[in-house]
Amino acid sequence: MATLKINGEQKTFDAADDTPLLWVLRDVLGMTGTKFGCGIAQCGACTVHLDGKAVRSCVLPVGAVKDRAITTIEGVGDSTAGAKVQKAWLDLEVIQCGYCQSGQIMSAAALLAATPKPDDADIDAAMAGNICRCGTYVRIRAAIKRAASEG
Amino acid sequence: MSGVRRVLGVGAVAAAVVAAGVAWWLRGPGPTAFAEGPTVALADYRGTNPTGVPAALAQASLVERGEYLARAADCMVCHTAKGGKEFAGGLAFALPFGTLYSTNITPDKDTGIGGYSNQDFLNALHRGVRKDGARLYPAMSYTSYTYMTDADALAIKAYLFSLPPVRATPPANTLGFPFNQRWAMGFWSAVFNADTRFEPNTAKSPEWNRGAYLAEALAHCGECHTPRNIAFAMDNRAKFAGAVTGGWRAFNISSDSSTGVGAWREEELVSYLSTGHAAGRGTASGPMGEAVDHSFSRMAPEDIRAMVVYLKSVPAVASSDLPAAPAPAAPASHKEGGGAALAQGKKIFEGACASCHGWTGESPVSPFATITGSWAVNDPAATNVAQIVISGTARHTPQGVLSMPAFGKIYSDTEIAAVANYVTARFGAKGAQLTEKDIVSLRKQAAE
Repeated sequence: MATLKINGEQKTFDAADDTPLLWVLRDVLGMTGTKFGCGIAQCGACTVHLDGKAVRSCVLPVGAVKDRAITTIEGVGDSTAGAKVQKAWLDLEVIQCGYCQSGQIMSAAALLAATPKPDDADIDAAMAGNICRCGTYVRIRAAIKRAASEG
Repeated sequence: MSGVRRVLGVGAVAAAVVAAGVAWWLRGPGPTAFAEGPTVALADYRGTNPTGVPAALAQASLVERGEYLARAADCMVCHTAKGGKEFAGGLAFALPFGTLYSTNITPDKDTGIGGYSNQDFLNALHRGVRKDGARLYPAMSYTSYTYMTDADALAIKAYLFSLPPVRATPPANTLGFPFNQRWAMGFWSAVFNADTRFEPNTAKSPEWNRGAYLAEALAHCGECHTPRNIAFAMDNRAKFAGAVTGGWRAFNISSDSSTGVGAWREEELVSYLSTGHAAGRGTASGPMGEAVDHSFSRMAPEDIRAMVVYLKSVPAVASSDLPAAPAPAAPASHKEGGGAALAQGKKIFEGACASCHGWTGESPVSPFATITGSWAVNDPAATNVAQIVISGTARHTPQGVLSMPAFGKIYSDTEIAAVANYVTARFGAKGAQLTEKDIVSLRKQAAE
């Protein structure tokens, strides 16, 4: 049995060390908010936070997480930056099909936590690895700016 | 004798003397000649036997001992094609004069080495001569294996003969004239193959001797890490100073304290060899990654330590094209640090690379994906950065496999050059200036 700290709670589960974190989240713990996209860290759908930094959970063996704190889309609203991002996403109705949006929100929240007033280049640098097939990029950019402007 | 004949005779002798002198000079010192002190025949050595298998396998069967030695000699990597059956050959070696293919060394009678007697096998391993008498090319590293004892070589043969025979003929070599004349390799061998067995050095410790035997006769480190002379033989005057082999740069592993491994702690070298990674020193990829996966990671800890002891004794030779030290971590902000003017490379990096490697080069995912401190990003030629981008990499870590996808089919040659230039500018001491043509060439050189 292994233990991970997820969204502030200790979760105990049974999985081999080399299982990707995404599989543990979705299939073992039933936390299906985090999505599977490409499986090779190239689309961003599976983004979670490790100690506040955005990482792709599909390529991260669960044994490599160790004692680092995990935040998923289910818990990101508890942080100031995460709550602002979620509100801006709703206000601007960013989402179309929605499949990539958990990852988009996680990357945006990590960006705002590190860079509270990002310019366009900062947004590119943080968000370019999150692909949206519906092409909601314009609204994502606007929503990040709105979240940043909310005090 | 007429005057003309005498002049011709003297001329011929003089030419032969000059040729012998050039050959002697080109041949240079042997692989362990740097270590001063007397050597003795193995039979006369009083220390612990430096050959054979580790103590734990001393009572194992011949086949089991051969399996260990075959791993230590890393036969499999070259004698297995990508996706092919193990030891069935067919791996391509793209050389400047054409392409060579490795042979089938399974015990199949017709297409493999099933018809080899013990003496045939020793002739191939020690002298580079096939059963049919034809010469092997030195892509088969017989100038290293020649130092292996008969007993160890025949244990490897016993292991290979215990495997299922595979019927497979590798593609024909595509060498042009004069390189397709195998007989001519006899002259090459006469000069460059010592055809002698390992002789322990009595001034050195038994551990050093074990390390020397493993590194030279089995692991054949020098075949990639020692530069080659104009005759394509290893030049031990610059032993372990690094070279580009198969399109990948094998870095300097001499004891030079800045560009070699002289400043690495023993534990770091042990970790790098046995796991393919040492914190802050980078992660093995490409051919070295394969050597770790198939060979070093399977070797006994005492054997790894012995090789490290030996490695630390190799004289320092500096690599003048590398910086005196790897660059420190890049700034956390993408707006600061190197590569600011390289817009195309940055665009690719932020989309495809930053999520695992971070903007500092210190990975938020795993220390294995940290590129800060590695020679690959500090090489102004960016050879290995480009190769890893093209072919990807996978590292078997204690926590499971960490892998990077291959981008060679997704990005154009121009894009790969751009991202390699950006990565070296941002994370290394000096940015590379690769062009589309360089990437075409690197793709060709890498074995397939």
